[in-house]
Amino acid sequence: MKCVLFLMIVLPAVATDVSTLERDLNEIARVATAMVDGDVCEHIVTDRALRYMSHPDPRDQYADGDNYDVDDDAFIRTKKTLIRLANLANYPVDANLWMPLRGDPRRIQVVIRNKYEMSQFWDWGKLSQAMVPEMKEVLQTGKALTVKQKPKFVSVLAPVRNSLGQIVGVVEVVGETTPDARENVK
Amino acid sequence: MNSRSSLLAGLFALAIQCSALELRALPEFFRPDPFGGIVESDRDGAGWLTAIKAKAARGAYVSFHLVAGGSGAGECALSIDFPLTTDVYREWFHLNTADRKYYPDALIPIRSPYRFQIPSSDNAIPGQTAQAFWIDFWVPASTEPKTYRGRARLSDGSGQRTIPIEISVLPAVVPERDPVTLDNNSYGTSWLIQQYPKALATVNESRRAEDELFRLIHEHHQLFYDHRGTFHQLGYGHAGKVGPEFAPELTGTGAEKHVRSWDRFDRHYGPLLDGSAFASSRRGPRPIPYVYLPVNPEWPASFLWWGEPGYQAEFTNVLSEMERHFREKGWTSTVFEVFFNQKKRYKGFQWDGDEVRFSRDNRYFVAYHDLVAKAIPADSPVHFRMRADTSWTMAHQFEELKGVVSFWVAGAGEFSWYADMLPQLKQRGDIVWNYGGTPTVEQVSSTITLNPLQSWITGVDGFVRWLTVNPGPDPWRHLNGGGETLIYPGERFGVEGPLASIRLKLQRNCLQDLALLDEEAKAGSRDRVREEVVRRFNNTKLAEWRNTRPETLPKSVLEWNNADLGDALKPFESRFSNLQPSAWLRVRDFALQETGSSK
Repeated sequence: MKCVLFLMIVLPAVATDVSTLERDLNEIARVATAMVDGDVCEHIVTDRALRYMSHPDPRDQYADGDNYDVDDDAFIRTKKTLIRLANLANYPVDANLWMPLRGDPRRIQVVIRNKYEMSQFWDWGKLSQAMVPEMKEVLQTGKALTVKQKPKFVSVLAPVRNSLGQIVGVVEVVGETTPDARENVK
Repeated sequence: MNSRSSLLAGLFALAIQCSALELRALPEFFRPDPFGGIVESDRDGAGWLTAIKAKAARGAYVSFHLVAGGSGAGECALSIDFPLTTDVYREWFHLNTADRKYYPDALIPIRSPYRFQIPSSDNAIPGQTAQAFWIDFWVPASTEPKTYRGRARLSDGSGQRTIPIEISVLPAVVPERDPVTLDNNSYGTSWLIQQYPKALATVNESRRAEDELFRLIHEHHQLFYDHRGTFHQLGYGHAGKVGPEFAPELTGTGAEKHVRSWDRFDRHYGPLLDGSAFASSRRGPRPIPYVYLPVNPEWPASFLWWGEPGYQAEFTNVLSEMERHFREKGWTSTVFEVFFNQKKRYKGFQWDGDEVRFSRDNRYFVAYHDLVAKAIPADSPVHFRMRADTSWTMAHQFEELKGVVSFWVAGAGEFSWYADMLPQLKQRGDIVWNYGGTPTVEQVSSTITLNPLQSWITGVDGFVRWLTVNPGPDPWRHLNGGGETLIYPGERFGVEGPLASIRLKLQRNCLQDLALLDEEAKAGSRDRVREEVVRRFNNTKLAEWRNTRPETLPKSVLEWNNADLGDALKPFESRFSNLQPSAWLRVRDFALQETGSSK
């Protein structure tokens, strides 16, 4: 079934304008909600890493980053799905996974990023950040949302559900009308 | 006012201007300020010179500050008359944000004679009364050993001041090769585009504009090379995005993946790897000794195929093509580094390539080593090495990744606990560097010599300053200490390339001396030479430069944090605090004295 879904979508070769980008990313986002396994996503960040993120060390501002860790298998499985989703476009698109910080719904963290390193929301280098209002809306309503905040960027936020039907995360499907090949190589 | 009184007033003004005119010199480690004084951190032992007199080995630079003083608004001229090649730079006084003080650091090349005004209109320092110049005398290796004399002259149309210059050139020649590779690290090229907005305005639009980017990259390599250093540019991000100039263009997927074009890669790297980029250097052309490859978990193989046959196919196809291309080009002098910089905290991949904290991540190094071994013929003349930058778990990694990683870049502080492992690492053919930061302008000038010296004393092969090309958004009037830069963009001054800093030149001069000292150490007793060097440097004994891991640290690395590490290292690091600005000048005296006696 998953293969059938992928085969049904053939996207045009080049995104030259916002409307094309918006249409393609919405299509990918729709598939993302179907394909990304929320139960697997919930196993990516380790409990130990979350403890460090939730309890900052007053003596060591880098303790949360130094102790950040993930479950390899859950990460790899989900990342591969995200790459497949991004590959539905034959121009640069990233599919990033975002999840609310367990135990602190006021915060959200990017959990998986991808190879073009695009995002409209990530504060570069931050392990977690204040809940993005648009993501909060998706988490609450379960409806995808298109965001065009940063010039040239389009993101479509798609809900990710677990087997209980709970919305546990958001996939940010993101593209740029004129991608900068050198940006974010740092 | 009648004509007589006008004449008297004019003469009076000239007299004031002339009497205020002053030309003095300072040894290189005493940095002047713009008010006729010396920056606070360098005042200990400082003394103004009314004559420049120095001994020098051949194949080396001799450096001084010249400081012109004057309170008049008239035009001054500085000229240097000296029989050896002389490079003259105007010192830019940066207003440092943290302490609101002025420090000279960026060096703007000028030609003698040079006309200027005090105060300087572009530096715009309220109350400026002095303009400083950095003087580099270049003594080629072929120079006849004898005493050379000349003078520096400052004039303002009404009078002049001169300083005699005398350099006694010794027979000794500074070896071309450095015992410690001083490396300067950077990431990508977007910083270049920010620093050179005019030159690189259309970099994405034409081949010609892109060649301008490559010219600038080559200029950066040359500047560091000219200062006895090397330059690294990491070409990919934490989630695997590769800058277009850092990798050949690929096409296909799975078994069909291969290199489509070497054009851009060769325009970038070709002149660096065959040495022709350095044709105009006084050191002569030489291929760069080290270079990062763009290899990362997402390049050349797509992470989509990780753990599947397609990953190996894509990886080995492209690595094999790289090896063949490099071999055919004759690029066999350079170490090509397979280096993983990603950290899982940046959410791109599930393992830390840089500074491994969780030992289970070591298995990925083993996996990639196996892939590299499959791609590269064992008898290839091209030098591929797996490099790992290590801190938390270095002692464990040295053991567990024996034969896998052969190029270690180890955090200098923690490495001091494990320096006794160095002989076994070197015995098995590994390259070992340390890494750390860059002293800021507020620190005493001689601090820039500490890392090179520590590296030489410890016996490691190199030292990396982790970032040396980031002067901040406005280094000219709001310098953020300069702890992430040793160079500045020259575009503001009409120089289409990077400007050296005083700290970079102090470091170069230190490296010259270390090369001389290493020759002496090889020829005689290494311990005797090192013992005397550290005595002169900071009145210590060689034994004090060795450290042991404190018992207070928890056994498990996962229980360590940065604060505990910092505390544990403090007693050791305190042995090297409170350096005197003249610390290295005393070492140099010894180096020249030793080479003078042995040659």
